[in-house]
Amino acid sequence: MKRNTLVISIVLFILAVFAWAGWANWEYRKQAVERQLASVAHGVLVPDAAGGEAQYISPLKGKPAPEFALEDLSGKKVSLASYKGKAVLINFWATWCGPCKIETPWLIELRNQYAAQGFEVLGVSTDDIDHDDKQMMSSEKKDIAKSAQQLGIDYPVLIDGASVSTPYGGLDEMPTSFFVDRKGMVVAAQQGITSKEDIEANIKKALGE
Amino acid sequence: MRAVRIAGIQIATAVLLGAAALLAWGQVNDPAHSILKGAAVEYLFPEQVAVAVGKPSLVTLHFRVAPGLHINSHTPKDEFLIPTVFSIPDGTGVRLEEASYPVGTEFALPLDPTTKLSVYTGEFVIQARLVAEQGNHLVEAKLHFQACDKNVCMPPKTIPVAIDVIGK
Repeated sequence: MKRNTLVISIVLFILAVFAWAGWANWEYRKQAVERQLASVAHGVLVPDAAGGEAQYISPLKGKPAPEFALEDLSGKKVSLASYKGKAVLINFWATWCGPCKIETPWLIELRNQYAAQGFEVLGVSTDDIDHDDKQMMSSEKKDIAKSAQQLGIDYPVLIDGASVSTPYGGLDEMPTSFFVDRKGMVVAAQQGITSKEDIEANIKKALGE
Repeated sequence: MRAVRIAGIQIATAVLLGAAALLAWGQVNDPAHSILKGAAVEYLFPEQVAVAVGKPSLVTLHFRVAPGLHINSHTPKDEFLIPTVFSIPDGTGVRLEEASYPVGTEFALPLDPTTKLSVYTGEFVIQARLVAEQGNHLVEAKLHFQACDKNVCMPPKTIPVAIDVIGK
């Protein structure tokens, strides 16, 4: 009897160890796949041959823009696919990002300038969203809305951009923008503030001009 | 015979446990897990401090911001900017009674010279008033900050601040 109890205990213990090892391995592999996906889409800064500012090169250029469906500030789901036929600037920003605030007025002006030609800006906030705490999530949404209002943003603002960071290369620096043509292909990408002229040139590429 | 069987079970258990431990160790120590590469802020010293038990003791903590980067001070000038905050988790045997932060340096981004930010660059210190219980406490304190350079910002980050606090 004593021996049976001992054997059963040992077997249960071994099974528990296997279960833990299996779970740890699954978690590890999941994270490794996410890291690999992010690294595949991760852009790099390449020094400018003429000695100017380094250029951001994204592996997504020439490829279909990764699809997403995110909530806007009113809670409505907005998908990238619903903008097919339009040129879209996907601007990943954050309320805590100073450089983002510098380029926002340029985006507002350029959006108004090119809207009639079928151009739209999607401002995707990468601020943390706490899905487990409804009260916190509500407060975070209010902060994003307040910041967007202070900046005078009149284009759609989507939240929880961090949830789509992997296919967009990890989004480890803000602002990061992707310029998508009418067919849904990425034609250019920018990281960090450059100039209104650079953004406009990429909008024209997206519009096919 | 019975003793041999039990010994066999014990050896098998030891082998399995060893394999599981190796598996876990391999995962934790995978270089890809390292998030310290290119850290924006580094904790410099002290690694160890001795303080009087139960009495608030002032400890000066030294940090360094990577060249070319700045982090918001403890009192940034915009409500949406993330302040630098030092903290000690509960249950470590050491309590943070108060932290005094340096005044930030005024800084403006080249493309927006009129907006003044309050930031830390290079080396900075935080004066922490610690209250320790008797004994040796390996405290993993935390520094929460958000770093930028002149063109981009990185997401907010929390780094560990390891201090061996000896309460005498």
